[in-house]
Amino acid sequence: MFRPEHSVILGIGELKPSLDVKGQISLDLLARAAVLAIQDAGLDKGDIDGLLVCPPSEDSYFLWPSQVAEYLQLSPTFMNMVELGGASAAGCIARASLMVAAGLCRYCLCLSGGIWDPQVFNTREGKTAVMSQAEIDYELPYGPMGFNSGYAMIARRHMHEYGTTAEQLAKIAVDQRTNALANPDALFNRQPLSIQQVLDSPIVVDPLHLLEIVRPCSGAAAVIVGNKGPHRAPAHTPVILRGFGEAYTHNSIAYAPSLTTSAIKAAGERAFRMAQLTVKDIDLVSLYDCYTITVLISLEDLGFCHKGEGGRFVERTDLTYKGNLPCNTHGGQLSFGQPSFAGGMSHVIEAVRQLRGEAGQRQVSNNRRALVNGNGGTMSTQCCLILERG
Amino acid sequence: MTDYQQTYWEHIEEGSLWLQYCSHCQRYVFYPRRHCPYCPRENLEWRQTSGQGRVHSYTLVRVSALPEFKDLVPYIYALVDLVEGIRIPTNIIECAVDQVRVDMPVTLATIKREGRALPVFKPFQKQN
Ligand SMILES: [Zn+2]
Repeated sequence: MFRPEHSVILGIGELKPSLDVKGQISLDLLARAAVLAIQDAGLDKGDIDGLLVCPPSEDSYFLWPSQVAEYLQLSPTFMNMVELGGASAAGCIARASLMVAAGLCRYCLCLSGGIWDPQVFNTREGKTAVMSQAEIDYELPYGPMGFNSGYAMIARRHMHEYGTTAEQLAKIAVDQRTNALANPDALFNRQPLSIQQVLDSPIVVDPLHLLEIVRPCSGAAAVIVGNKGPHRAPAHTPVILRGFGEAYTHNSIAYAPSLTTSAIKAAGERAFRMAQLTVKDIDLVSLYDCYTITVLISLEDLGFCHKGEGGRFVERTDLTYKGNLPCNTHGGQLSFGQPSFAGGMSHVIEAVRQLRGEAGQRQVSNNRRALVNGNGGTMSTQCCLILERG
Repeated sequence: MTDYQQTYWEHIEEGSLWLQYCSHCQRYVFYPRRHCPYCPRENLEWRQTSGQGRVHSYTLVRVSALPEFKDLVPYIYALVDLVEGIRIPTNIIECAVDQVRVDMPVTLATIKREGRALPVFKPFQKQN
Protein backbone atom coordinates (compact mmCIF):
# COMPACT_ATOMS: atom_id res chain seq x y z
CA MET A 1 0.00 0.00 0.00
CA PHE A 2 1.15 3.51 -0.79
CA ARG A 3 2.53 5.38 2.19
CA PRO A 4 3.69 8.92 1.49
CA GLU A 5 6.32 8.79 4.24
CA HIS A 6 8.33 6.36 2.15
CA SER A 7 9.28 9.42 0.09
CA VAL A 8 11.81 11.96 1.27
CA ILE A 9 13.03 15.29 0.00
CA LEU A 10 16.74 14.77 -0.56
CA GLY A 11 17.82 17.94 -2.30
CA ILE A 12 16.79 21.55 -2.81
CA GLY A 13 18.13 24.29 -5.06
CA GLU A 14 16.89 27.82 -5.54
CA LEU A 15 18.05 30.90 -7.44
CA LYS A 16 17.77 34.35 -5.96
CA PRO A 17 14.68 35.96 -7.55
CA SER A 18 15.53 38.68 -10.03
CA LEU A 19 13.86 41.48 -11.95
CA ASP A 20 16.65 41.65 -14.52
CA VAL A 21 17.72 38.47 -16.29
CA LYS A 22 18.68 39.86 -19.68
CA GLY A 23 20.36 37.43 -22.01
CA GLN A 24 18.93 34.30 -20.39
CA ILE A 25 16.08 31.93 -21.18
CA SER A 26 13.95 29.89 -18.79
CA LEU A 27 15.94 26.73 -19.46
CA ASP A 28 19.14 28.49 -18.30
CA LEU A 29 17.55 29.27 -14.94
CA LEU A 30 15.97 25.83 -14.52
CA ALA A 31 19.28 24.12 -15.25
CA ARG A 32 21.12 26.20 -12.64
CA ALA A 33 18.49 25.36 -10.00
CA ALA A 34 18.64 21.68 -10.98
CA VAL A 35 22.42 21.57 -10.57
CA LEU A 36 22.14 23.14 -7.10
CA ALA A 37 19.54 20.55 -6.02
CA ILE A 38 21.57 17.63 -7.40
CA GLN A 39 24.65 18.84 -5.51
CA ASP A 40 22.58 19.43 -2.37
CA ALA A 41 21.32 15.83 -2.53
CA GLY A 42 24.84 14.47 -2.99
CA LEU A 43 23.84 12.90 -6.31
CA ASP A 44 25.18 12.93 -9.85
CA LYS A 45 23.09 14.15 -12.76
CA GLY A 46 23.04 10.58 -14.10
CA ASP A 47 21.15 9.46 -10.98
CA ILE A 48 18.09 11.54 -11.94
CA ASP A 49 15.58 9.18 -13.54
CA GLY A 50 12.31 11.02 -12.97
CA LEU A 51 11.33 14.53 -14.07
CA LEU A 52 8.34 16.75 -13.23
CA VAL A 53 8.23 20.30 -14.52
CA CYS A 54 5.91 23.24 -13.92
CA PRO A 55 4.94 25.28 -16.98
CA PRO A 56 7.11 28.27 -17.92
CA SER A 57 5.60 31.71 -18.60
CA GLU A 58 7.31 33.04 -21.69
CA ASP A 59 8.49 29.92 -23.50
CA SER A 60 6.48 27.46 -25.54
CA TYR A 61 4.70 24.87 -23.39
CA PHE A 62 4.94 22.40 -26.21
CA LEU A 63 6.58 19.16 -25.01
CA TRP A 64 8.05 21.18 -22.15
CA PRO A 65 9.23 18.12 -20.15
CA SER A 66 11.25 16.88 -23.11
CA GLN A 67 12.58 20.39 -23.79
CA VAL A 68 13.89 20.44 -20.21
CA ALA A 69 15.19 16.87 -20.37
CA GLU A 70 17.03 17.61 -23.61
CA TYR A 71 18.62 20.80 -22.30
CA LEU A 72 19.91 18.97 -19.21
CA GLN A 73 20.57 15.73 -21.13
CA LEU A 74 18.45 13.69 -18.73
CA SER A 75 16.99 10.32 -19.67
CA PRO A 76 13.98 10.02 -17.38
CA THR A 77 12.12 6.73 -17.18
CA PHE A 78 8.99 8.75 -16.35
CA MET A 79 8.24 12.46 -16.77
CA ASN A 80 5.40 14.94 -16.98
CA MET A 81 4.36 18.57 -16.77
CA VAL A 82 2.21 19.49 -13.77
CA GLU A 83 -0.14 22.36 -14.61
CA LEU A 84 -2.06 23.29 -11.47
CA GLY A 85 -1.28 27.02 -11.56
CA GLY A 86 0.18 28.07 -8.23
CA ALA A 87 -0.39 24.56 -6.89
CA SER A 88 1.92 23.09 -9.55
CA ALA A 89 5.03 23.01 -7.35
CA ALA A 90 3.33 21.29 -4.41
CA GLY A 91 1.58 19.06 -6.95
CA CYS A 92 4.99 18.00 -8.29
CA ILE A 93 6.08 16.83 -4.83
CA ALA A 94 2.89 14.79 -4.36
CA ARG A 95 3.26 13.19 -7.80
CA ALA A 96 6.98 12.56 -7.34
CA SER A 97 6.23 10.62 -4.17
CA LEU A 98 3.79 8.43 -6.12
CA MET A 99 6.35 7.84 -8.86
CA VAL A 100 9.05 6.91 -6.35
CA ALA A 101 6.69 4.69 -4.32
CA ALA A 102 5.58 2.89 -7.48
CA GLY A 103 9.18 2.17 -8.36
CA LEU A 104 8.93 4.18 -11.59
CA CYS A 105 12.05 6.09 -10.64
CA ARG A 106 14.53 6.44 -7.80
CA TYR A 107 15.24 10.17 -7.90
CA CYS A 108 12.62 12.55 -9.23
CA LEU A 109 13.69 16.10 -10.11
CA CYS A 110 10.88 18.65 -9.64
CA LEU A 111 11.47 21.96 -11.41
CA SER A 112 9.67 25.27 -11.35
CA GLY A 113 10.39 28.77 -12.59
CA GLY A 114 11.68 30.68 -15.57
CA ILE A 115 11.82 34.15 -17.03
CA TRP A 116 8.96 36.46 -16.12
CA ASP A 117 7.46 38.24 -19.08
CA PRO A 118 5.74 41.45 -17.85
CA GLN A 119 3.54 41.45 -20.94
CA VAL A 120 1.76 38.31 -19.78
CA PHE A 121 -0.97 40.10 -17.85
CA ASN A 122 -0.66 43.57 -19.36
CA THR A 123 -1.98 43.09 -22.87
CA ARG A 124 -5.16 41.63 -24.27
CA GLU A 125 -3.12 38.85 -25.90
CA GLY A 126 -1.35 38.11 -22.64
CA LYS A 127 -4.61 38.06 -20.71
CA THR A 128 -6.44 35.79 -23.10
CA ALA A 129 -3.47 33.41 -23.14
CA VAL A 130 -4.16 32.58 -19.48
CA MET A 131 -7.98 32.64 -19.71
CA SER A 132 -10.42 29.84 -20.44
CA GLN A 133 -12.84 30.25 -23.36
CA ALA A 134 -15.69 30.83 -20.88
CA GLU A 135 -13.69 33.65 -19.26
CA ILE A 136 -12.91 35.19 -22.63
CA ASP A 137 -16.59 35.02 -23.69
CA TYR A 138 -18.41 35.95 -20.49
CA GLU A 139 -15.89 37.89 -18.34
CA LEU A 140 -13.38 39.70 -20.54
CA PRO A 141 -16.08 41.95 -22.11
CA TYR A 142 -16.53 43.52 -18.66
CA GLY A 143 -12.89 44.51 -18.21
CA PRO A 144 -11.64 42.30 -15.33
CA MET A 145 -8.02 42.84 -14.29
CA GLY A 146 -6.94 39.22 -14.43
CA PHE A 147 -6.44 37.41 -11.16
CA ASN A 148 -6.43 40.74 -9.30
CA SER A 149 -10.19 41.17 -9.88
CA GLY A 150 -11.06 37.71 -8.60
CA TYR A 151 -9.04 38.05 -5.42
CA ALA A 152 -10.35 41.59 -4.88
CA MET A 153 -13.91 40.24 -4.95
CA ILE A 154 -12.94 37.45 -2.56
CA ALA A 155 -11.48 40.03 -0.16
CA ARG A 156 -14.53 42.32 -0.51
CA ARG A 157 -16.92 39.45 0.20
CA HIS A 158 -14.87 38.29 3.20
CA MET A 159 -14.97 41.83 4.59
CA HIS A 160 -18.74 41.91 4.08
CA GLU A 161 -19.48 38.52 5.66
CA TYR A 162 -17.04 38.63 8.57
CA GLY A 163 -16.01 42.23 9.11
CA THR A 164 -12.42 41.57 8.08
CA THR A 165 -10.52 44.86 7.84
CA ALA A 166 -7.88 46.26 5.52
CA GLU A 167 -5.59 46.65 8.56
CA GLN A 168 -5.88 42.94 9.37
CA LEU A 169 -5.00 41.95 5.82
CA ALA A 170 -2.09 44.40 5.79
CA LYS A 171 -0.66 42.75 8.94
CA ILE A 172 0.08 39.62 6.86
CA ALA A 173 2.24 41.62 4.41
CA VAL A 174 3.97 43.35 7.34
CA ASP A 175 4.91 40.09 9.11
CA GLN A 176 6.14 38.55 5.88
CA ARG A 177 8.32 41.60 5.25
CA THR A 178 9.83 41.11 8.72
CA ASN A 179 10.68 37.56 7.60
CA ALA A 180 12.19 38.81 4.35
CA LEU A 181 14.50 41.16 6.23
CA ALA A 182 16.20 38.01 7.55
CA ASN A 183 16.45 36.46 4.08
CA PRO A 184 19.40 37.68 1.96
CA ASP A 185 17.75 36.17 -1.16
CA ALA A 186 14.44 38.01 -0.86
CA LEU A 187 13.55 40.60 -3.48
CA PHE A 188 12.32 43.07 -0.86
CA ASN A 189 14.59 42.73 2.17
CA ARG A 190 15.90 46.22 2.86
CA GLN A 191 13.05 48.18 4.42
CA PRO A 192 10.62 47.03 7.09
CA LEU A 193 6.96 47.64 6.38
CA SER A 194 4.23 49.10 8.57
CA ILE A 195 0.49 48.51 8.35
CA GLN A 196 0.10 52.20 7.50
CA GLN A 197 2.58 51.90 4.62
CA VAL A 198 0.56 49.02 3.17
CA LEU A 199 -2.65 51.03 3.47
CA ASP A 200 -0.95 54.10 1.96
CA SER A 201 0.17 52.14 -1.11
CA PRO A 202 -2.07 52.62 -4.16
CA ILE A 203 -5.31 50.64 -4.31
CA VAL A 204 -4.76 48.59 -7.45
CA VAL A 205 -8.09 46.76 -7.45
CA ASP A 206 -10.32 47.81 -4.60
CA PRO A 207 -9.93 46.72 -1.80
CA LEU A 208 -6.43 45.36 -2.53
CA HIS A 209 -3.40 47.63 -2.16
CA LEU A 210 -0.23 47.35 -4.21
CA LEU A 211 1.73 45.95 -1.25
CA GLU A 212 -0.81 43.12 -0.77
CA ILE A 213 -0.23 41.84 -4.30
CA VAL A 214 2.47 39.42 -5.36
CA ARG A 215 5.50 40.71 -7.24
CA PRO A 216 6.22 38.54 -10.30
CA CYS A 217 9.89 38.11 -11.15
CA SER A 218 12.28 35.64 -12.73
CA GLY A 219 13.86 32.74 -10.92
CA ALA A 220 13.88 28.98 -10.57
CA ALA A 221 13.73 26.30 -7.91
CA ALA A 222 14.36 22.56 -7.83
CA VAL A 223 13.53 19.77 -5.39
CA ILE A 224 14.63 16.13 -5.55
CA VAL A 225 12.30 13.48 -4.15
CA GLY A 226 13.65 9.99 -3.53
CA ASN A 227 12.98 6.83 -1.62
CA LYS A 228 13.47 6.69 2.11
CA GLY A 229 16.37 4.38 2.80
CA PRO A 230 20.14 4.43 2.60
CA HIS A 231 21.59 7.07 0.32
CA ARG A 232 25.12 7.57 -0.81
CA ALA A 233 25.79 10.84 0.89
CA PRO A 234 23.04 11.98 3.26
CA ALA A 235 24.40 15.52 3.43
CA HIS A 236 21.29 16.87 5.13
CA THR A 237 18.54 15.80 7.48
CA PRO A 238 16.01 14.11 5.18
CA VAL A 239 12.54 15.61 5.13
CA ILE A 240 9.69 13.11 5.04
CA LEU A 241 6.42 13.65 3.17
CA ARG A 242 3.82 12.59 5.74
CA GLY A 243 0.79 13.36 3.67
CA PHE A 244 -0.74 15.31 0.86
CA GLY A 245 -4.20 16.25 -0.29
CA GLU A 246 -5.64 18.01 -3.28
CA ALA A 247 -8.99 19.56 -4.12
CA TYR A 248 -10.56 21.46 -6.97
CA THR A 249 -13.78 23.46 -7.13
CA HIS A 250 -13.78 25.76 -10.18
CA ASN A 251 -11.62 27.59 -12.70
CA SER A 252 -12.86 31.17 -12.77
CA ILE A 253 -13.98 32.75 -9.49
CA ALA A 254 -17.36 33.44 -11.12
CA TYR A 255 -18.15 29.71 -10.81
CA ALA A 256 -16.78 29.13 -7.31
CA PRO A 257 -19.22 27.48 -4.88
CA SER A 258 -18.15 30.09 -2.31
CA LEU A 259 -15.91 33.15 -2.42
CA THR A 260 -14.91 32.86 1.22
CA THR A 261 -14.51 29.11 1.83
CA SER A 262 -12.08 27.47 -0.57
CA ALA A 263 -10.98 24.06 -1.78
CA ILE A 264 -8.07 24.40 0.68
CA LYS A 265 -10.46 23.03 3.31
CA ALA A 266 -10.89 19.69 1.54
CA ALA A 267 -7.24 19.53 0.45
CA GLY A 268 -6.08 20.14 4.03
CA GLU A 269 -8.47 17.54 5.45
CA ARG A 270 -7.20 14.97 2.96
CA ALA A 271 -3.57 15.79 3.79
CA PHE A 272 -4.15 15.53 7.53
CA ARG A 273 -6.02 12.24 7.09
CA MET A 274 -3.20 10.74 5.04
CA ALA A 275 -0.63 11.97 7.57
CA GLN A 276 -2.76 10.84 10.52
CA LEU A 277 -2.09 14.22 12.08
CA THR A 278 -4.10 17.30 13.03
CA VAL A 279 -3.57 21.03 12.78
CA LYS A 280 -2.20 21.00 16.35
CA ASP A 281 0.79 18.95 15.13
CA ILE A 282 1.96 21.70 12.76
CA ASP A 283 4.82 23.98 13.86
CA LEU A 284 5.16 26.25 10.83
CA VAL A 285 3.38 26.94 7.57
CA SER A 286 4.26 27.92 4.01
CA LEU A 287 1.04 29.24 2.48
CA TYR A 288 0.76 30.33 -1.12
CA ASP A 289 0.47 34.09 -0.93
CA CYS A 290 -0.45 35.65 -4.25
CA TYR A 291 -2.43 38.14 -2.12
CA THR A 292 -2.84 38.74 1.60
CA ILE A 293 -6.43 37.45 1.48
CA THR A 294 -5.15 34.09 0.21
CA VAL A 295 -3.13 33.58 3.39
CA LEU A 296 -6.02 34.63 5.61
CA ILE A 297 -8.49 32.24 3.99
CA SER A 298 -5.87 29.46 3.99
CA LEU A 299 -5.42 29.81 7.76
CA GLU A 300 -9.19 29.56 8.24
CA ASP A 301 -9.78 26.69 5.82
CA LEU A 302 -6.89 24.67 7.26
CA GLY A 303 -8.34 25.03 10.74
CA PHE A 304 -5.79 27.30 12.42
CA CYS A 305 -8.80 29.42 13.38
CA HIS A 306 -12.55 29.31 12.79
CA LYS A 307 -14.10 30.52 9.54
CA GLY A 308 -14.51 34.26 9.70
CA GLU A 309 -12.00 34.75 12.51
CA GLY A 310 -8.99 34.99 10.20
CA GLY A 311 -8.78 38.75 10.56
CA ARG A 312 -8.70 38.71 14.35
CA PHE A 313 -6.39 35.67 14.26
CA VAL A 314 -3.69 37.35 12.19
CA GLU A 315 -4.07 40.48 14.29
CA ARG A 316 -3.15 38.65 17.50
CA THR A 317 -0.77 36.05 16.00
CA ASP A 318 2.89 36.77 15.31
CA LEU A 319 3.40 35.21 11.86
CA THR A 320 7.13 35.97 11.79
CA TYR A 321 9.91 33.44 12.32
CA LYS A 322 10.02 34.66 15.94
CA GLY A 323 6.31 34.09 16.47
CA ASN A 324 3.89 31.40 17.58
CA LEU A 325 2.82 30.44 14.04
CA PRO A 326 5.72 31.14 11.67
CA CYS A 327 4.25 31.68 8.20
CA ASN A 328 6.16 32.17 4.97
CA THR A 329 9.44 32.67 6.80
CA HIS A 330 11.30 33.35 3.53
CA GLY A 331 9.14 36.43 3.07
CA GLY A 332 6.52 34.70 0.96
CA GLN A 333 5.87 35.69 -2.60
CA LEU A 334 4.83 39.13 -1.34
CA SER A 335 8.39 39.95 -0.22
CA PHE A 336 10.58 37.11 -1.55
CA GLY A 337 9.07 37.34 -5.05
CA GLN A 338 7.07 35.04 -7.30
CA PRO A 339 9.41 33.50 -9.86
CA SER A 340 7.66 32.95 -13.19
CA PHE A 341 4.07 31.67 -13.32
CA ALA A 342 4.01 29.79 -10.08
CA GLY A 343 6.36 30.57 -7.28
CA GLY A 344 5.01 27.78 -5.12
CA MET A 345 8.30 25.86 -5.06
CA SER A 346 9.83 28.56 -2.84
CA HIS A 347 7.24 27.62 -0.20
CA VAL A 348 8.31 23.97 -0.34
CA ILE A 349 12.01 24.85 -0.20
CA GLU A 350 11.63 27.20 2.76
CA ALA A 351 9.74 24.51 4.70
CA VAL A 352 12.55 22.04 3.97
CA ARG A 353 15.20 24.55 5.13
CA GLN A 354 13.32 25.14 8.37
CA LEU A 355 12.83 21.42 9.05
CA ARG A 356 16.51 20.75 8.34
CA GLY A 357 17.52 23.57 10.66
CA GLU A 358 19.28 25.41 7.84
CA ALA A 359 17.26 28.63 7.79
CA GLY A 360 20.05 30.71 9.34
CA GLN A 361 19.03 33.96 10.94
CA ARG A 362 15.33 33.20 10.48
CA GLN A 363 15.46 29.62 11.86
CA VAL A 364 12.38 28.79 13.92
CA SER A 365 12.84 26.88 17.16
CA ASN A 366 9.91 24.46 16.83
CA ASN A 367 10.68 22.79 13.52
CA ARG A 368 9.35 19.25 13.55
CA ARG A 369 6.46 19.59 11.10
CA ALA A 370 5.50 22.02 8.38
CA LEU A 371 2.39 22.42 6.27
CA VAL A 372 2.83 23.70 2.71
CA ASN A 373 -0.10 24.82 0.60
CA GLY A 374 -0.06 25.51 -3.11
CA ASN A 375 -2.98 27.52 -4.47
CA GLY A 376 -3.82 27.67 -8.16
CA GLY A 377 -6.18 29.90 -10.10
CA THR A 378 -8.56 32.01 -8.04
CA MET A 379 -8.43 29.76 -4.96
CA SER A 380 -9.66 26.88 -7.06
CA THR A 381 -6.92 24.28 -7.40
CA GLN A 382 -5.25 23.24 -4.15
CA CYS A 383 -2.43 20.97 -3.08
CA CYS A 384 -1.53 20.66 0.59
CA LEU A 385 1.64 18.89 1.81
CA ILE A 386 2.60 17.88 5.34
CA LEU A 387 6.36 17.59 5.81
CA GLU A 388 8.26 16.22 8.80
CA ARG A 389 11.89 16.33 9.92
CA GLY A 390 13.35 12.85 9.39
CA MET B 1 -19.76 30.29 -32.65
CA THR B 2 -21.75 27.38 -31.26
CA ASP B 3 -25.56 27.28 -31.48
CA TYR B 4 -25.92 27.81 -27.72
CA GLN B 5 -23.57 30.81 -27.72
CA GLN B 6 -25.56 32.26 -30.61
CA THR B 7 -28.89 31.81 -28.78
CA TYR B 8 -27.51 33.50 -25.66
CA TRP B 9 -26.19 36.55 -27.54
CA GLU B 10 -29.28 36.86 -29.77
CA HIS B 11 -31.50 37.26 -26.70
CA ILE B 12 -29.07 39.82 -25.29
CA GLU B 13 -29.32 41.82 -28.53
CA GLU B 14 -33.10 41.85 -27.95
CA GLY B 15 -32.55 43.22 -24.44
CA SER B 16 -33.35 40.13 -22.37
CA LEU B 17 -31.27 37.57 -20.50
CA TRP B 18 -32.16 33.96 -21.26
CA LEU B 19 -30.33 31.09 -19.61
CA GLN B 20 -30.30 27.36 -20.11
CA TYR B 21 -32.37 25.27 -17.70
CA CYS B 22 -32.15 21.56 -16.96
CA SER B 23 -35.65 20.21 -16.27
CA HIS B 24 -34.17 17.04 -14.80
CA CYS B 25 -32.02 18.87 -12.23
CA GLN B 26 -34.46 21.80 -12.01
CA ARG B 27 -31.51 24.14 -12.13
CA TYR B 28 -30.36 26.98 -14.33
CA VAL B 29 -26.99 26.67 -16.00
CA PHE B 30 -24.44 29.39 -16.73
CA TYR B 31 -22.33 29.84 -18.89
CA PRO B 32 -24.11 28.42 -21.97
CA ARG B 33 -22.94 24.92 -22.96
CA ARG B 34 -23.97 21.65 -24.54
CA HIS B 35 -24.39 19.58 -21.38
CA CYS B 36 -26.01 20.20 -18.04
CA PRO B 37 -22.92 20.10 -15.80
CA TYR B 38 -24.83 18.37 -13.01
CA CYS B 39 -26.56 15.30 -14.50
CA PRO B 40 -24.96 15.76 -17.28
CA ARG B 41 -27.71 15.42 -19.91
CA GLU B 42 -27.97 17.32 -23.18
CA ASN B 43 -31.13 19.08 -24.40
CA LEU B 44 -31.08 22.02 -22.02
CA GLU B 45 -34.06 24.33 -22.53
CA TRP B 46 -33.93 28.13 -22.71
CA ARG B 47 -35.83 30.26 -20.20
CA GLN B 48 -36.04 33.99 -19.80
CA THR B 49 -34.73 35.23 -16.46
CA SER B 50 -36.31 37.90 -14.29
CA GLY B 51 -33.22 40.10 -14.59
CA GLN B 52 -33.37 40.65 -10.84
CA GLY B 53 -30.48 39.98 -8.53
CA ARG B 54 -28.05 41.21 -5.90
CA VAL B 55 -24.41 42.17 -5.96
CA HIS B 56 -22.49 39.20 -4.52
CA SER B 57 -19.16 41.02 -4.60
CA TYR B 58 -17.42 43.69 -6.62
CA THR B 59 -14.19 45.49 -7.31
CA LEU B 60 -13.47 48.93 -8.70
CA VAL B 61 -11.12 49.13 -11.66
CA ARG B 62 -9.32 52.47 -11.58
CA VAL B 63 -6.56 51.66 -14.06
CA SER B 64 -7.23 49.21 -16.88
CA ALA B 65 -4.54 47.54 -18.96
CA LEU B 66 -7.15 46.84 -21.64
CA PRO B 67 -7.14 49.65 -24.26
CA GLU B 68 -10.92 49.58 -24.83
CA PHE B 69 -11.48 50.27 -21.11
CA LYS B 70 -9.05 53.19 -20.79
CA ASP B 71 -11.85 55.77 -21.13
CA LEU B 72 -14.31 53.86 -18.94
CA VAL B 73 -12.34 53.96 -15.67
CA PRO B 74 -13.26 53.94 -12.90
CA TYR B 75 -15.79 51.18 -13.44
CA ILE B 76 -17.42 48.50 -11.31
CA TYR B 77 -16.65 44.87 -12.09
CA ALA B 78 -18.99 42.61 -10.14
CA LEU B 79 -20.53 39.22 -9.59
CA VAL B 80 -24.32 39.34 -9.48
CA ASP B 81 -26.48 36.59 -7.97
CA LEU B 82 -29.66 36.27 -10.02
CA VAL B 83 -32.84 35.20 -8.23
CA GLU B 84 -32.70 32.15 -10.53
CA GLY B 85 -29.68 30.93 -8.55
CA ILE B 86 -27.00 31.87 -11.05
CA ARG B 87 -23.91 34.00 -10.42
CA ILE B 88 -22.83 36.08 -13.39
CA PRO B 89 -19.78 38.31 -13.99
CA THR B 90 -20.84 41.78 -15.12
CA ASN B 91 -20.51 45.55 -14.73
CA ILE B 92 -22.73 47.70 -12.53
CA ILE B 93 -23.75 50.83 -14.43
CA GLU B 94 -25.59 54.01 -13.45
CA CYS B 95 -24.01 53.72 -10.01
CA ALA B 96 -21.28 55.93 -8.56
CA VAL B 97 -18.23 53.87 -7.58
CA ASP B 98 -18.62 54.89 -3.92
CA GLN B 99 -22.29 53.84 -3.91
CA VAL B 100 -21.96 50.17 -4.83
CA ARG B 101 -22.46 47.71 -1.95
CA VAL B 102 -22.42 43.96 -1.44
CA ASP B 103 -26.03 42.63 -1.41
CA MET B 104 -27.32 45.74 -3.22
CA PRO B 105 -30.41 44.86 -5.35
CA VAL B 106 -29.78 45.29 -9.07
CA THR B 107 -31.73 44.84 -12.27
CA LEU B 108 -30.76 43.90 -15.83
CA ALA B 109 -29.79 46.48 -18.42
CA THR B 110 -28.01 46.08 -21.72
CA ILE B 111 -25.31 48.29 -23.19
CA LYS B 112 -23.51 48.37 -26.50
CA ARG B 113 -19.77 47.76 -26.30
CA GLU B 114 -17.45 46.97 -29.19
CA GLY B 115 -20.47 46.91 -31.49
CA ARG B 116 -22.50 44.32 -29.62
CA ALA B 117 -24.96 44.16 -26.74
CA LEU B 118 -23.78 43.12 -23.28
CA PRO B 119 -25.90 42.24 -20.22
CA VAL B 120 -25.02 44.52 -17.30
CA PHE B 121 -26.87 45.54 -14.14
CA LYS B 122 -27.98 48.81 -12.58
CA PRO B 123 -29.23 49.64 -9.09
CA PHE B 124 -32.82 48.49 -8.60
CA GLN B 125 -35.27 51.27 -7.80
CA LYS B 126 -38.91 50.61 -7.03
CA GLN B 127 -40.18 52.98 -9.73
CA ASN B 128 -38.55 50.92 -12.49
ZN1 LIG C 1 -29.12 18.33 -15.27
